[in-house]
Amino acid sequence: MYLDTTIILIAMVVAFVLSSIFLKSAEISMIIAASVGILFGVAHGWTSSFSRVFVEGLFTNLDIALLFVTASFFVNFYSESGAITTLTRKLVSKSNNKWVLLSAMAIFMLIPGAITGAGSISVFVLGSMVAMIARAMGLSEKKTAAFVFTFAILSAAAPPVNLWAMMIASGSDMPYVGFTTPLLVPILIVGALSIIYFGWGSKPKDTAEILKNLPDASKDIAWWRIILPPAVLLGVFLVSYYLPFNIPVIGLPLTFVIACIVAIICNPNKLSPKECWNIMDKTMEQIFPLIATVLSVGVLQNAMSATGVKGLIGITFITLPLVWIYISILFIAPLLQGSLNYGSAVVFGAPLIFLFNTMGYNLTIIASAMSLIFPIGDCLPPSRITGRLSCEVVGYEGSYGSFLKAVLVPCLILAAVALVMMVFPDKFAFLVL
Amino acid sequence: MVAAQKIIYYLYMLITALCAFFLVKHLFKRKEHKGIINDIVYALCIIPFILRILHIK
Repeated sequence: MYLDTTIILIAMVVAFVLSSIFLKSAEISMIIAASVGILFGVAHGWTSSFSRVFVEGLFTNLDIALLFVTASFFVNFYSESGAITTLTRKLVSKSNNKWVLLSAMAIFMLIPGAITGAGSISVFVLGSMVAMIARAMGLSEKKTAAFVFTFAILSAAAPPVNLWAMMIASGSDMPYVGFTTPLLVPILIVGALSIIYFGWGSKPKDTAEILKNLPDASKDIAWWRIILPPAVLLGVFLVSYYLPFNIPVIGLPLTFVIACIVAIICNPNKLSPKECWNIMDKTMEQIFPLIATVLSVGVLQNAMSATGVKGLIGITFITLPLVWIYISILFIAPLLQGSLNYGSAVVFGAPLIFLFNTMGYNLTIIASAMSLIFPIGDCLPPSRITGRLSCEVVGYEGSYGSFLKAVLVPCLILAAVALVMMVFPDKFAFLVL
Repeated sequence: MVAAQKIIYYLYMLITALCAFFLVKHLFKRKEHKGIINDIVYALCIIPFILRILHIK
């Protein structure tokens, strides 16, 4: 059984590598790797139907795909009103201190991801505005993309909604309580160090020059037109989070649709139905690679579950000596995040909690620390959703490898902080309030 | 509350149908991501949207 599953894993890896080389498409490569895995599973009699596992896999991340579509609709309709340009111009004209502006952008970036649990939402909602300001503060294109990515993954890990911590907690029968400070403190430390790293040595452009290079703002756009769409978005998020039993379950995609309708109403240049249709058409074509990625990752996840590969990876990892767990978690957790997304927390996050429970460690600190390591993998193949999205939103045209080098230092800082928390959990127990 | 939940359910169906429509349209006519490989990826991506609208899954 163990050997058979290992063979399937090797076959899937080989299929993925070969198809990536010859077909040059991560999505189809994931589909082919998953198909190879499912076929082996069918041949072994572990699963009865190829099509059932395959189609169920397509549904694994369908809701995330819908979320991406609606979030992109919102961002494109909001941008169409000129609100983002106006807001950027106002911010730059008020202050040209790079530390103040970079810190403000970092805090802005943390909010959408912290509420939704998805870093990609921060990139969608604020990525283009943050990129404009970061460039104006003298950051190179590469550093700008890295800045957006770093704060996107930090936002995903930030409380109140940290999906990795939630999945680890639910998988190990722990209440998701007391996580706010153990998550927030390391994120603020890593965020501050990242701002210093990115801003160090950069020279902000002259305010007049920045304003000249920014697109023209809509002259007659009133403040309420700028503020209302994101305020409605934030309002619905907060009401859904804090009053869950008083309102029906709206869900994030519909929340974005509501905000999108508000953005259309608030647009000073009234859009015709044809213009709205064209924006939606363009948006769907623009985000198709992302939809394809999340759906194909779902098939891969389902194939790994159906063939036992997911369990094989998890069990191999937790049976290692403790020192090796500490060393290898820094590599394995991000790599698994790259292929399984949030599933990585279930695969070995929960088993690790049981392991640390037998040692009597503070499990809230351990789970918080682990949930800080997983998001690093959002820039790693095969899925690399947030990484690729950051490059696309910023318009970074350099190689993906050079982008990875640019995010290395903040990711190492995050990993180091998380590792210290994991090794000495009881020293940080005071954070659990 | 039950009626509101029902309305939300149908709104989600509408969003899914809209996505399916655009994906089918782009399968046959699009400006970016051309080529046979992307045709296959488009065709695969349409499957869950169509099945959701048809209430099959």
